[in-house]
Amino acid sequence: MKKTHILAIIVIAIAIGAIMTTVSDSSTYSNFSEAMENPGKEYHVVGQLNKEAEMVYDPEVNANLFAFRMIDNNGEEQMVHFAGSKPQDFERSEQIVLVGKYENDTFQASKILMKCPSKYNDGQPGEMQEFTAESATS
Amino acid sequence: MEINYIGEHLWAGQFGQLCTVLAFVSAMVAAISYAFAAKNDAAFSDWKLLSRSAFSLHIVSVFGIIITLLYMLYNGMFEYHYVWQHSNSEMPMRYILSSFWEGQEGSFLLWLFWHAVLGAILLLTAKKWEAPVMAVFALVQMFLVSMVLGININDIIRIGSSPFLLLRDHPEFTGLPFLQNATYLDRLDGRGLNPLLQNYWMTIHPPTLFLGFASTLVPFAFAIAGLWQRKYTEWMKPALPWTFFGVMILGTGILMGGAWAYEALSFGGFWAWDPVENSSLVPWITLVGAAHVMIIQKNRGQSLIMTFVLTVSTFILILYSTFLTRSGILGDTSVHAFTDLGMSGQLLVYLLAFLCLAIILLIVRWKEIPKSKDEDSLYSREFWMFIGALVLVISSFQIMFTTSIPVWNKLFGTNLAPPLDPIAHYNSFQLPLAIILAILIAVTQYFKYKKTDPQQISKGLTVPFIVSLIGTAAIGYLMHYSNVMYILMLFTTLFLIAANFNYWLSVLKGKVKVAGASVAHIGFGMILLGAFLSTSKTQVISMNTSGTDVESLGSEGDFSNRDNILMMKGDTLRMAEYFVTYVGKKKEGVNVFYQVDYLTRTEGRYTLEFSLYPRVQTNPRMGNIAEPDTKHFLHEDIYSFVTYAEVETEDTKEKPEEYKNTSTKQVAPGDTLFAGTAIVIFNGFDRNVNAEEFGIQEGDIAVAASLTAIDISGKTYDVRPIYVIRDRMALPVPGELEELGLRFVVNKVIPEQGQAEIAVYEKPDNYREFIVMKAMIFPWINILWAGCVVMIIGTVMAIRRRLKS
Repeated sequence: MKKTHILAIIVIAIAIGAIMTTVSDSSTYSNFSEAMENPGKEYHVVGQLNKEAEMVYDPEVNANLFAFRMIDNNGEEQMVHFAGSKPQDFERSEQIVLVGKYENDTFQASKILMKCPSKYNDGQPGEMQEFTAESATS
Repeated sequence: MEINYIGEHLWAGQFGQLCTVLAFVSAMVAAISYAFAAKNDAAFSDWKLLSRSAFSLHIVSVFGIIITLLYMLYNGMFEYHYVWQHSNSEMPMRYILSSFWEGQEGSFLLWLFWHAVLGAILLLTAKKWEAPVMAVFALVQMFLVSMVLGININDIIRIGSSPFLLLRDHPEFTGLPFLQNATYLDRLDGRGLNPLLQNYWMTIHPPTLFLGFASTLVPFAFAIAGLWQRKYTEWMKPALPWTFFGVMILGTGILMGGAWAYEALSFGGFWAWDPVENSSLVPWITLVGAAHVMIIQKNRGQSLIMTFVLTVSTFILILYSTFLTRSGILGDTSVHAFTDLGMSGQLLVYLLAFLCLAIILLIVRWKEIPKSKDEDSLYSREFWMFIGALVLVISSFQIMFTTSIPVWNKLFGTNLAPPLDPIAHYNSFQLPLAIILAILIAVTQYFKYKKTDPQQISKGLTVPFIVSLIGTAAIGYLMHYSNVMYILMLFTTLFLIAANFNYWLSVLKGKVKVAGASVAHIGFGMILLGAFLSTSKTQVISMNTSGTDVESLGSEGDFSNRDNILMMKGDTLRMAEYFVTYVGKKKEGVNVFYQVDYLTRTEGRYTLEFSLYPRVQTNPRMGNIAEPDTKHFLHEDIYSFVTYAEVETEDTKEKPEEYKNTSTKQVAPGDTLFAGTAIVIFNGFDRNVNAEEFGIQEGDIAVAASLTAIDISGKTYDVRPIYVIRDRMALPVPGELEELGLRFVVNKVIPEQGQAEIAVYEKPDNYREFIVMKAMIFPWINILWAGCVVMIIGTVMAIRRRLKS
C-alpha cells in the first residue's frame, strides 16, 4: 500500500470523526415539553417572553439569578431561571432563544440569545444579542 | 399626482448609478476581450487595446461609485436610503468611512475597490499572464458589481441592491405620509451609524479584512489561468508572493476583528468561535496551506493537484463566507451577521458559477496535469510539509462543517442547533490539531528536500527540545497546569518557537535576509501560546463578596459559579488581590461610564492603583450594550464589564430632593431602624413640641418621635419627626437629615403600647446606586498581540525574498 493511500484513509477517518462529533455535540431546536420529558438534557428552546408575568431580578439578593416566564413556539409557558444577570432591555425582546435544560421544575438556562426590535423601524427585526452565564450545574 | 420635491440632489444618485452601470458593462467587455486576447500572442496584440481600455474604464467607474457615495455621506444627502440608514448630521467626520462600509452595499464597494486596485497592479506587472488573469479578474468584478446594480423589475427579478436608492423609492418607505410633503427633506435626519461601530477598529478592520479577501483572488486567477493556458506549474512563481501577501493581510484583518471584539464587545475574550469569525478564519487556513504546498511544488515539483485544490477552495470559501454572513441563513446562531437583503440567491449563483468553472477546468485538464510517480521519502521535508497541509485541511473542514449547521438544516430539512458549548466543541478538535501542527512546524525545517540523514535531524533538535522541556516544567508548575492535553500544547508551542529560533541561529547562521519563514513561524507560535495561556487560565475574579445573603436562594439550584459582583456605591469590596469601589457614573453621549477604583491595602490604608471605566452604551438600534474596560499589564489584563446597572442618570440628578419610601416599621422605644446610610434608634416620644415652629393650633395633639441616627463613621444625628392630630385627622410633619439623605415620617402612634409606625424615606442615590460587574484576568494575552506583529514582520520578510528571487 502506498503512503498516499494510508494518508487518504487517515484523513477520511478524521473527517468522519469530525462530522460525527458535530452531530453528537449539536443539540436540536425544541420546545419545553420535550425538555421536560428529558430532564438534564440540554436543548435550544425558541419562544417569547411572557410580558404579563412577573420578572424577578434582585441583584441585592443574588446578582446571578434572573427568573422569568417564557412561552415557547408551541404556546407552552414555563418558568425559566438564568444563572446570570438580567440582560439589558430584556423587556423589549421580541424573540428569545434559550439554551439550557429542565431541572427542579424549572428550565435552567445557561445562555440567552435575544432579539430586540429596532427603535427606528418597527417592522424590521433588530440584531441578535447574546448573553451567557456559567451553567448552573456544570 | 407628481410631487415636486424640494432640495433633493438627484444628480448625485444618477451619476452614481451611471458609474455602476458603466462599471458593470466595462467589466463584461474586459472579461470577454481578455478571454479572446488570452488565445495566443497574436490575439493579444489585436485585443490588447480594447481589453485594457475596458478594464481601465472599469477601474475609473468603481472609483466614481465610491467617490459619489462618500460625497453623498459627506454632504448628508439623507434623501438617499443608504445615507439615511448609516449616517446622520451629528456624526463626526472621522466615522464617515465606518458609515460607508457599515451596510452590505458599502462593504461590496470596499471589496470592489480592492479588486480594482489589485487589478490595476496586475495589469501593469503580470506581463504574459495579463490576458488570462485579467479575464478572471474582470469576470469576478462583473459578478460583484451586479451585487450593487439595484435592478428591480416588478419585484420579480431583483439584481443587487443599490446604495443610490432614494429613500422615497425604498419599498419600506413608499407611500409614507411624510413623503407626501414636498419639503420633507428640511426636517429629515439620518438614522446614524450604529454607536457600537463608532470605534477606531471599525475604521481599520474592514478595509484590512477586505484587502485580505481581495488578495485571495490573485492566486485563484493565476491558478485558473494556469489550467486554462496549460501552464500547470509556471503560474505559481508570480502567484506565490501574492499568496503570502494574502496570508499576512487576511490574518491581520481577522486578528483586528478579534482585537475589536476584545475591546468593544463583552464576549469575554478575543475569539468566540462565532460563525462570522469562523467563516473568515477558514479561508485563511486554506490559504496558508496553499502557500506551503506552492513552496513544495516550487522546490520539488510535487503536490500539484493539492496546490490547485487549496488555491481554488480558498477563493470559493471566501465567497461561501460572504454567502453565510449575508444571506441571513445564520439567523439565530450568530450575533453579528448581516440581515438578508434578498440577495442570497444571487450570491449562491455567483458561488456555484466559480466553483463549477474551477471543477470543470480541473476535470478537463486532469490527464494533462503532471503527477509525480515516485513516493516521497519519510525523511524528506516535502513529505512533512504535505502532512502539515493536510492537517490544515482537516482543521478548516471541521470548523466549516460545524459552522454550516444552518446550511445543512436548509439542505436536508434537519433541525440541528449549534453545539451548546461551541468553545469546548471546537477545542476538542482544534487543540489536538494545533499540537500536531506545532510539532510539524518545529521539526519540518530540519528536514531537507528529498532525503535527510535522521541523525542530523535529531542532533539539530536536541537543544530546542531540552529548552522547551525546561520551559514547560517551569510554566506548568507556576501556572498550575495539570491537564495532559494542556501540558502537551504548552510544550509543543514552546518547542515550535525554540526550534525555529534555533534553526535560524544554527542552520541559517543568523542571517536576517533568509529569516522570513523562521520569524513568521515564531510569530505564529507566539499567537498559539498567547491564545492558549490566556484562554486556558482565564480567571473570573468577580465573586460575590458583597456580604448580602445569597445562600438563601440555595434551594433554587446550586449557583456555585457566581461570577458577578454586586457593588453598592461607596462600598469597598475584596476582589482577587484588589479592593474595589464603585465610585459613580457619568453620562457622555450614548455612553454611561461607571467608575470603579481598584485599591490595594497595606497596614490598613488604601492606595488607589488604577480606575476602570466599563460602560453601557444606550444603543438606539440594539438596546443597551455593555462595553468592557481593561487594565493592561505586561503579564496580564484585567478585563471588566458591567452586567447590570441603572442607566438613567438625568432623573436622579434633576430631582435630588425626591425621596422614596424604603421601609416602614412599627417600633417600640429602643428599637432600631435600618437605612442605607445609617442605623436609626427610636428613643421614644417627646411631647415638647414647639407650637410656633410647626404651626400647631389649639386643640391639636402633637407628639415628636425622638430618633438618633448613627452613620457609617459613627457620627450621631438627632431628628424629630412630628405627629399631629387635628380634628381626628393625622398630619405628620416629616423630619429630615439632609446630610444622610434620610427622611422620617410617623405614620401612626399607638399610645397604649408606646409604639409608633415610622416610615423611612431615602434619596434614590442612597439605596439604588449599585452595579453588577463581571471581571476577569487574561494572563499573558500580550504574547498573542506581540505574536501578530512578529508574524506580520516575518511574512513581509518572506515576501521580499520571494520578490527578489
